[in-house]
Amino acid sequence: MYLPDFEYYAPATLSEACELLEKLGPGAKVIAGGTDILSKMKQELLFPKAIVSLKYLSGLSEIRLESNNDVIIGAKATHNSLIDSPVLQEKYPSLCNAAHQMANNQVRNIGTVGGNIVNAVPSADLPPLLIALGAKIKLVGTNGERVLPLEDFFTGPNESIIKQDEILTEFIISEQSLTGSTYIKFALRRSGALAVASVAVAVAMEGNTCRKARIVLGAVAPIPLRAKKAEEMLTGKEITDELLEEAGSVASAESKPISDIRGSAEYRRDLVRVLTRRALRKAINEGHV
Amino acid sequence: MGENYEVIGKSVPRIDGVAKATGRAKYTGDLKFPNMLVGKILHSPHAHARILNIDTSEAEKLPGVKAVITHRDVPSTKYGLSPARWDETIFCIDKVRFVGDKVAAVAAVDEETAYKALKLIKVDYEVLPAVFDPYEALKEGAPQIFEEYPGNINTEIHQHFGDVDKAFAEAYHVRRDFFSGQRTYHSPLEPHVSIAFWEGPKVTVYSSNQSVHYLQYHLARVFGMPMGNVRVLKTHVGGGFGGKLDPTGLDFAAVKLSQITGRPVKMLYDRKEMFYNNRGRHAQYMELTTGVTKEGKILGVHANFVMDGGAYTGLGVASAYYAGALLTVLYDFDNYKFDMIRAVTNLPGCGAQRGHGQPQPRFAFESHLDHIAEDLGIDPLEIRIINARKPKTVTINDFKVDSYALKEALEKAREISGWREKKGKLPPGRGIGVGNGGFVSGAGYPCYRTDLPQAVAIIKVHDDGSMATLYTGAVEIGQGSDTVLLQMAAEAMGYPLEKMRIVAGDTDLATHDFGAYASRQTLMSGWAVKKAGEEVKNKILQTAAEMMLVVPEQLDVKQGVVFLKAHPEESLTFEEVARTYFVKYGQLIGQGSYKPPKLGGTFKGAAVGTSPAYSAATQVAEVEIDEETGEIKVIEAWDVHDCGMVINPALLHGQVHGAFYMGMGESIWEEVLFDEKGDVANGNLAEYRMPTALDMPPVTSELVDSIDPNAPWGVKEVGEGATTPTMACLANAIYDAMGVRIESLPLTYEKVWRALKEKREKEKA
Amino acid sequence: MKKKIRLIVNGEEKVLTIDVQQTLLEVLREDLGLTGTKKGCNQGECGACTVLLEGKPVSSCSLLAVKADGKAVTTIEGLAKGGQLHPIQQAFNEKGAIQCGFCSPGMILVTKSLLEQNPNPTTAEIKEAIAGNICRCTGYVQIIEAIRSLVP
Repeated sequence: MYLPDFEYYAPATLSEACELLEKLGPGAKVIAGGTDILSKMKQELLFPKAIVSLKYLSGLSEIRLESNNDVIIGAKATHNSLIDSPVLQEKYPSLCNAAHQMANNQVRNIGTVGGNIVNAVPSADLPPLLIALGAKIKLVGTNGERVLPLEDFFTGPNESIIKQDEILTEFIISEQSLTGSTYIKFALRRSGALAVASVAVAVAMEGNTCRKARIVLGAVAPIPLRAKKAEEMLTGKEITDELLEEAGSVASAESKPISDIRGSAEYRRDLVRVLTRRALRKAINEGHV
Repeated sequence: MGENYEVIGKSVPRIDGVAKATGRAKYTGDLKFPNMLVGKILHSPHAHARILNIDTSEAEKLPGVKAVITHRDVPSTKYGLSPARWDETIFCIDKVRFVGDKVAAVAAVDEETAYKALKLIKVDYEVLPAVFDPYEALKEGAPQIFEEYPGNINTEIHQHFGDVDKAFAEAYHVRRDFFSGQRTYHSPLEPHVSIAFWEGPKVTVYSSNQSVHYLQYHLARVFGMPMGNVRVLKTHVGGGFGGKLDPTGLDFAAVKLSQITGRPVKMLYDRKEMFYNNRGRHAQYMELTTGVTKEGKILGVHANFVMDGGAYTGLGVASAYYAGALLTVLYDFDNYKFDMIRAVTNLPGCGAQRGHGQPQPRFAFESHLDHIAEDLGIDPLEIRIINARKPKTVTINDFKVDSYALKEALEKAREISGWREKKGKLPPGRGIGVGNGGFVSGAGYPCYRTDLPQAVAIIKVHDDGSMATLYTGAVEIGQGSDTVLLQMAAEAMGYPLEKMRIVAGDTDLATHDFGAYASRQTLMSGWAVKKAGEEVKNKILQTAAEMMLVVPEQLDVKQGVVFLKAHPEESLTFEEVARTYFVKYGQLIGQGSYKPPKLGGTFKGAAVGTSPAYSAATQVAEVEIDEETGEIKVIEAWDVHDCGMVINPALLHGQVHGAFYMGMGESIWEEVLFDEKGDVANGNLAEYRMPTALDMPPVTSELVDSIDPNAPWGVKEVGEGATTPTMACLANAIYDAMGVRIESLPLTYEKVWRALKEKREKEKA
Repeated sequence: MKKKIRLIVNGEEKVLTIDVQQTLLEVLREDLGLTGTKKGCNQGECGACTVLLEGKPVSSCSLLAVKADGKAVTTIEGLAKGGQLHPIQQAFNEKGAIQCGFCSPGMILVTKSLLEQNPNPTTAEIKEAIAGNICRCTGYVQIIEAIRSLVP
């Protein structure tokens, strides 16, 4: 296991970085924390000719609350800085908890939220909850920037719509009507294990009536998957245990898991049922947890 | 425990603790020698293939490559544990037999060049059909992996003691169950490393291993060298657990590459390559039939096992014998039949892992026994007390068991775990289970056929008596043997521990010893150390008697003070006596050697399982199960051990914790998996899931009094025995919690989920 | 490709010319001879290579050394001062928290970081803090006891 040689660039500005990426072409990869990319390179799954480091780009690690109440998370924020962020602890502690479930402490101090998204690993922990919270992302390229829902970002395992010259710079969570959200991960060990199945939910409750629900399933489809039928059946309804159980079953039917070394498709489908019900109950009762 | 000891029985900190805490401790991988090259091994990409041609010319041309070797460059001598099953060569000659088999090796100026060179070696293979399952391998028409093992049968054992059929005919109840165990891997935190260099006709090999002698023996035999020209030594070793006993390809390749290049060569495995080298626990398939009386007394047992040996034998033949041999120790019964087939398959070769061969049979037997207890309406802990072996007995397969406090361990475990208050009374989803285990305190016979003593130790007192050095071939791999042996030496000599130094695990500078396996060192190396210490003590007393004009019998020595027993105030220091000895007679040296008396019966395989002393252990654990997901939480565990006299309680309890930890990992999380091509699918530490601190429950480790007459100060083993009860203990706790029996290891969340689902469906129907 | 970097290692400035593909682990072990930092899995999964980067524990095998340019690194060699063991090292040694010792440097460093952030951790917080460090020998029992002994 070794890292082969590559060219290394650490541009000072974002525009320089985008231009470099365009110039170097598909052999060039962006590195933020690098935990995931180094691992892939050591396993000879990835052979970048050049690496463009975001190390010197300033302002991309911030987590802040805008005057319009939007929460902005810089793509270079590490998982542990999410956990420690007073803004998130106040507004979306569920995100702190989701970040906490990533890998282990030593990796959480290096790995970034942007990396967790751009690598597009189906079992990643942050995408389901960020999608459930309606997060948008900002992609900056040589021709300017675009903002789009995170939900539209993924196209398959390790694949997304990001272009060669683009860099993911930030997340914007502007959803204000949500009353609760949570992420439940089911893994085969309490630390340092990938999700076998995971469910993120966000709800807007009015009394005991569900005005809006988003349910996003992780590790049970090529991309984080909205369980839209389950969401629909909750919308506008009075919440009962039976309804939540039913929502779990519907979400389970919507999932498209595969069997692999971590679990069979059958097991994962049933986990989706259980986790969806539990996550909904938790978000409804306890808010953003 | 009666006697007052000065040094043993005390939790002194380990002698290597400060070096390890400060990062000063050098492991083999930390060593650098001038001009050193880096070597790597080329592993087979196929599970089974004929080698048609190997072309190394491109690799040799790569700048920075200093040597490329294949089977053509090394002896074709076969090696393994026993001559009948010497089946492995340094590199594959005609065939590769698993994904990861050793094909060639390179030495280069750095790691990157070495890896690049491996890619340039062209090997033409004719791919052959492969077989990955032992039952498939045993079928007629299965691909034949070795010429010497027709039908892929590597080892076949049929032992019968007493008359099992008669016992079953007379039994009140006969029950048959089937269990299986998985492949696991030791996963020491330190990867294997080997560094070799030559000086004239002599090679020196630093290897991260468990037995410098066993490696020296192999290297000398395979390379046709006198043992004296092979020096094997080790520095600190980052864990072994059985996985660093068999020689690795690194050891052989480093020796040859350094000979060719004339430069030191360092070779190490990365994590996945460690899984290729393997030698981990076999997957075993275990059918057990037991006949009992109405009162639960076991009358007879039939163990009918199959094990997946993987591609090569190594220590695996011993694993096969151990699997059945030690089933007779814990419970006393007069009729026993053991049938075993060890099949070869196209997967990495299996061998010895903590508890060697028997944790899985214990899992099977202890699960089976719980079923029998339930059938008879007897409490599971009680049925174990009914059958527990008594001290000073002989097993049906001729093992002499002197001290044995299993019954006391069971009773104490019942008390400290609150068994009576908990069994059948815990809230839904919670359960409690019990399992028993134990192990040999050193194998009665050396690991290969030889008449050498088990252990030799020398203690040299420095000229001025201010220090003493213990020389031993025992190997410290983290278990604490250096510390324990020094405590024993100091106790035997009557010398302060602080003045003791150790030279261990070096075939040139230290003494002969078979090393760290089969939980042998505290007893066997300990015997040699005790005798060496006593010889020093006798010389000191003799010399002091001359100095004090008394007879030696009137004197004693403790903590470096020689005194008249009747008038302790009349004394000399050890130092001045030792100096006087040196002036008068030369170097003050004590030597000790240990060879057990002839042990065991005369039937085929009678040697395996013999030991001077047997440990016993009871474990109780409490679990909580998520009934919807099958998730298992181990809430708390208790271990009560009969391990004889304890030399260092802190180290001993650390062994129990670690053994339970490993057993728990193997129970629930750990399993080596393969893809459809036979390649390791989880050769990393994210997917080969050893428990983290968050998965580990509180463990209470307690002891029962026991002194074994065959051991120095009455010591016995602890480090392996405590792994053997765990799997069944947890399986039984799950059964208690949910009423589902998981018969195959690991007891994964998914298996529990599936069993619960099936149970619900059955109840509905 | 070579690059010059500057690290503050255990309080001492080091200016080094390294290959860009070198991980921080390799630079510490190979270029600086600080072999107390161990290579266990090389994949960020075992914690044996843990060092403190600006006081925070990181897997040095999963971080390119060029990315640590300009930063302060603490390795296990930086703890004992003037021949005096750091209290954490002392507790590990005395409480039986060390067996094979391969995980010990990483364990001790995460403990340092934990106690700096939270001088009074609960057992649950201790377990959480060391969950990224695999120990194959001790079952963590005496490690946790050692850390608890440092909590007033």
